[in-house]
Amino acid sequence: MAHQKEQDIEALKERILKMGSLVEDAIRKAVKALVERDRDLALGVIDGDAIVNTLDVEIEEECIRFLAIWQPSGSNLRFVTTAIKIITDLERMGDLAVDICERSVELLDEPQLKPYIDIPRMAEASQKMLKDSLDAFVARDADKALAVCAADDFVDNLNSQIFNELLIYMLQDPKNISRAVRLSYITKYLERVADHATNIAEMVVYMVRGKVIRHMACEIRNSDKT
Amino acid sequence: MEVQEVTLPVDLEVKNLNFYYNGNAHALRDISLPVYKNRVTALIGPSGCGKTTLLRCFNRMHDLYPRHRYEGEILFEGRNILSDKEDLINLRGRIGMVFQKPTPFPMSIAENIAYGLRLKGIKSRTELSGRIEQALKHAALWNEVRDKLNNSAYDLSGGQQQRLVIARALAVEPEVLLFDEPTSALDPISTGKIEELVAELKQDVTIIIVTHNMQQAARVSDMTGFMYLGDLVEFDTTEKIFTAPEKKQTDDYITGRFG
Repeated sequence: MAHQKEQDIEALKERILKMGSLVEDAIRKAVKALVERDRDLALGVIDGDAIVNTLDVEIEEECIRFLAIWQPSGSNLRFVTTAIKIITDLERMGDLAVDICERSVELLDEPQLKPYIDIPRMAEASQKMLKDSLDAFVARDADKALAVCAADDFVDNLNSQIFNELLIYMLQDPKNISRAVRLSYITKYLERVADHATNIAEMVVYMVRGKVIRHMACEIRNSDKT
Repeated sequence: MEVQEVTLPVDLEVKNLNFYYNGNAHALRDISLPVYKNRVTALIGPSGCGKTTLLRCFNRMHDLYPRHRYEGEILFEGRNILSDKEDLINLRGRIGMVFQKPTPFPMSIAENIAYGLRLKGIKSRTELSGRIEQALKHAALWNEVRDKLNNSAYDLSGGQQQRLVIARALAVEPEVLLFDEPTSALDPISTGKIEELVAELKQDVTIIIVTHNMQQAARVSDMTGFMYLGDLVEFDTTEKIFTAPEKKQTDDYITGRFG
């Protein structure tokens, strides 16, 4: 019986990773669609989100079934509760990829406002955080998860920096406003992606160490390595 | 949570307890733990880990068999109850025990409870019937048996018999109750009743429970000790043991990887 329980956990883990890789892919394609002004790519990402939504529901049902059947304790309990929370964050990231694509399609109505330099950097950092948080989940690596939490500041700073830049475009010419606002939305979406990756990483720390670190300053999180 | 638990009054204190069966089988190894007053302490672990052996030390049940040996102390009100001078009849009245299978005496429901009271020297019929009613109410059995107190205890269902046995133990007003897998022979409804009863009884008595049913330990207890091969591997609040135990061995057991 214990064998079946381990198999169920492995199956859950694989499904979550599949969902995670679909979301990673969606975010990567969304930013590519923005930068390359590729309408078809953007529309493809919007369509593809349905698969992520289906996985969200199915994995949640599997987690609930696992709780009902096995009534897990200890590390198994922490794994399943973490899984339930992680898929919510992944699903939201999938929605954000869709939002990026919708704004990118809207931006196609006008010429490109400016060369995109910091937005791809920001996207790259957010995607790395997502990837690392999922790697930490699979490897049960709390240190790696804590590094993800620490990286969030970099993305937040980029977001403010880009916002200030866009503000100047808007002040220069009101005709820039509709494009600048949409770009500002997009950077906000990417900033939210990084926040969700941080949530996942925080849950991984709970899963591995049994300690809740949400809403704590970075210094306190790092000081208590049990 | 943890800080709060640690400041609770301690009812029994086990200190460096070693126990040997048959002169040399080392069944308990250097066990130390506090048993908090008016709290439920659960002992869990795989078969043969020593949890029942430890439970039986608290009211010296092992003394019914030859060639056993205790080392260390169990302090009860500051006195070592493992001492040779301990009055065992008195001790077992103050620290009562409920076994896995219901063990009613072959007599009427009322007589089952009166038995221990008579041993304590209570003879007045009025006092006896008052104490019988009180004990049956306390064990949540009164409403089911009030009209058939003179029927044989064997007419009761298993779950009712177990509550009768609990009533019998309660009648002599113990300070501590030891439960040795009290629901493993009962159906889920009776089990639920016993679990509710345990939760109520802790207002009046300190409870130590041995159980193979880990969800039961998680539901009814405040503190949990995990034992393995005669060692107390980990002792902490039940919440901690069942969500984030410190020791890998504990986690392996409660997640079902062994045992």
